[in-house]
Amino acid sequence: MIGNDIVDLVQAAIDSNWKRKGYLDKIFNSEEQFMITSGIHPSMIIWLLWSMKESAYKIYSREAKLREFAPLKLQCSNLIIHNDTATGNVSYENELYYTESYFDEHYLHTIASTKLEELGKVEIKITDHALFDYKKTKPASVSHHGAYLALVYL
Amino acid sequence: MDRAELIARLTPIIATYAQDKDAVASINETTDFIKDLKINSANLVDVILDVEEEFDIEIDNLSMERMLNVSAAMEIIEDKLKTK
Repeated sequence: MIGNDIVDLVQAAIDSNWKRKGYLDKIFNSEEQFMITSGIHPSMIIWLLWSMKESAYKIYSREAKLREFAPLKLQCSNLIIHNDTATGNVSYENELYYTESYFDEHYLHTIASTKLEELGKVEIKITDHALFDYKKTKPASVSHHGAYLALVYL
Repeated sequence: MDRAELIARLTPIIATYAQDKDAVASINETTDFIKDLKINSANLVDVILDVEEEFDIEIDNLSMERMLNVSAAMEIIEDKLKTK
């Protein structure tokens, strides 16, 4: 099963003030906060870690048919960042999820799967958030945020 | 604090982050933060921080996990106010 999450970075900057007191403590553990504060682009790392957690959570909640808001239980590790891509792991409720992310100055997109080989097989379509009947195309996972709509096909 | 007063103090907080402003007009105990009000999940943290400030309580992680709708939020606030 595949999960995906898109973050419109312009929208996120408008909607969320991560510098607010207590904000990071509710979402990120101490190791994740170290990754955020030790780099030169803290907001980029924040949304990268956030989208990793979100994409893994989407798989879990679909499989377990359970909803909860537990960002601290989704723990990111093994994060490796290249120029405009990143890979990592998210662990949650004894399950390990592999993630792959892509980012530019406008948006950040992450896909997650319990099977590493599945990540290489997916087709990703990112469009502006136009009204088209994407349900007919039967995407495996859908994410929208701000101006963007991300569809992932297996 | 009775439930009417509680929901009256809670409503402006959740209205700030609700993307579906029509749904705000009909807020009741069954209203879901994400499904009905279309609150962005990153803003759920703001709802929790605002509630902590408004009611001068601390919402622990276990409570936060289930704070996805108005009735759960009210239960948690009432519970934390009692043990203050």
